[in-house]
This record gives sequence, structure tokens and C-alpha cells, in this order.
Amino acid sequence: MPRIPHTSPQTLQLFEALLDDPQRWRYGYDLSRETALASGTLYPILMRLTDQRLLETAWEPSDEPGRPPRHIYRLTAEGATLARQRLAARKTSGASIAQTRPAGGLA
Amino acid sequence: MTSPLISTPHRATNSPTRRIAHAVLVAAVRGRRDRGGDWGEAVLAEFAETTGNLEAIRWTWGGLRAAWHERRRRIHQLPRHVRITRRAVSVLIIAVVAGLAVNQWLLTVHTMPSGSMENTLLIGDRYLVDKVSFRITGLHRDDIVELTTPTSLRVKRVIGLPGDTISCAGGRVLVDGTPLDEPYLASDYPDETYTDCTTVTVPPNQLYLLGDHRIVSQDSRQSGPVNENAIVGRMLLKLP
Repeated sequence: MPRIPHTSPQTLQLFEALLDDPQRWRYGYDLSRETALASGTLYPILMRLTDQRLLETAWEPSDEPGRPPRHIYRLTAEGATLARQRLAARKTSGASIAQTRPAGGLA
Repeated sequence: MTSPLISTPHRATNSPTRRIAHAVLVAAVRGRRDRGGDWGEAVLAEFAETTGNLEAIRWTWGGLRAAWHERRRRIHQLPRHVRITRRAVSVLIIAVVAGLAVNQWLLTVHTMPSGSMENTLLIGDRYLVDKVSFRITGLHRDDIVELTTPTSLRVKRVIGLPGDTISCAGGRVLVDGTPLDEPYLASDYPDETYTDCTTVTVPPNQLYLLGDHRIVSQDSRQSGPVNENAIVGRMLLKLP
């Protein structure tokens, strides 16, 4: 059975954090703190979302001399829509995403 | 940017642990390049945000996973033939290294240097040598072994084990007084295989070794039993 993309608990945690203030650019470290995801989990998700144009990225030059620019992220319009759908699907299913998968339906 | 989590520029000086963690992450992201992949650099740029040794190590550990992930994706985007070539090259290198290791420590092929084992092994015959497993299974009578001497590598047959009394009578070898059945001797040439020796009891941890070509072989008849530490291999089979 094909897995519905972007439904893992980790991805949903990230969606929640990003939807907190969808217009604001976010730092990877802050997202890691807010979602309690390790960098090794968080960044692969960011990579995947960016590849699918659900997330936009930019480099923010550091105001502190000698520090490299920081990579910043925010959801695209498409990404924000999908994130809301996924989070709503989790709520309506009542519990875990694992239960929505066998049903095979998206929200 | 109002998040309280965003750092202030002035942090405590970096401890050695943090510096090591940072160096590891830099090495993983950049290797020998000036700049790594975008995502690796992104993780790296956030390193300064972490506080304390533990968090720095956790960030680095996750960063290694992220950099690995990014690298895998990059490889995956390469053209098919490039990926196949790379895979083939890495398999080849691993195979060669593994082959050399096996050849060095487990199994190897040697060429018979002398006529002392005729007619079992002729000069120039190639045979497979087991370098390890005889140390586990132990050596038995009739096994053909290699031993090192200060000057050369020799090939002989195990005739006497520790405790055996070896003697000779009528051109034949006796073990504890019983004539040894030696079907491997070249029976068509009785004077080549006529064996004469002085009686000896093999001491512990030593072996009594003879070459099959009794008339030419230099072996335990002249130099006495050999310490088992001198044995470096056991012949498994003769190669065609």
C-alpha cells in the first residue's frame, strides 16, 4: 500500500511549528528546538519539502562579522495548504496517523 | 525574529569538546572542499546556536546524518551510468582489498620449489595453502604442511605427533613400532622411498616431518622434530 507522503509524526510536528506563523522565516536550529527533532531528522525533512516546493529557503547574511550566512525556511502557499490538510486529517482521525493510512484517503 | 531561542552574538568561549564537534562537522560537510552542499552548510551555520557540550555533540551527530542524506541524494541525481560506474569501481576496490586480505591471512597459492615431495607434488606444482584453520582443527598425521626455516619455506608431511615414537626398519617408517601405511610414496621407485632414521620420541608441541621423496628430502631425519610454531600453513589441495 503506498504511503501517503508527509504524514510522519516528525513531519507533522514540523508543519505545526511552521504554521505557527507561516509568513515568518525560520532558522533550522530554532525549528529543531521547537519540534524537539534532532538535526539528523529535521534536515532530511526540510530537504524533501524543499524539493517538492512545499518549503522555500533563503540565505540570511549574518550581521555578526565572521559568521556564515544562515539558511532560513518558510512554507510556500502550496506547502501551507498541504500542512493544514495533513494536520486536519490527523485531528479528524482522532488519533495516530497510522490509523489513517490503511483508509488510504487524504483529508 | 522575536524568538527567545535566537542566540545572542556573544556566547561563552568554545570548549575543546565543542571545537572537536565543530571540526568533525566541518570535515563531514566540506571534506577537502571550501564549501560543502547547501544543506550541510546550513547545519554548520547553525552550530554556533547550540549551547553546551552535549547539545553541540547532538547537533554534530544529527549533522553527520543530514550530510550523509544530502550526499546520498546528490549521488542519486547523477546520471545512471555515472552511478553504475561508481558502484562498480567501489565494488572492485573492496573486492581487491578483501582478496589481498584473504591471500595474506587466510588462503593463498604457492608453487612447489623443490623435489622433496615427489611424486605427490612435483617441482612447479601449485597448491592451495590454508593459513588459519589448521590452528583451530589441529594437525593430523599425513597432513602436508609448510614450515619456515631461517633460510626458506619448506613443504613436508606430518609423520609423528607429540608422544609418537618414530623408528625405521627395512626402509619403512614405524610409529610406536607399527609400520606406517604410506600409499603416497612412489612405490615404483623403491630405492627413492627407502627410509632410514634414528629412533626418536616426538616431544610435546613438536612434529616429526618427512618429505615424500625420501632420498632427497632434508627433514626430521637430519634435523629432528620441528616446533609447531614453525608451521605456517597446511596444504588443502593441489591445483591443476
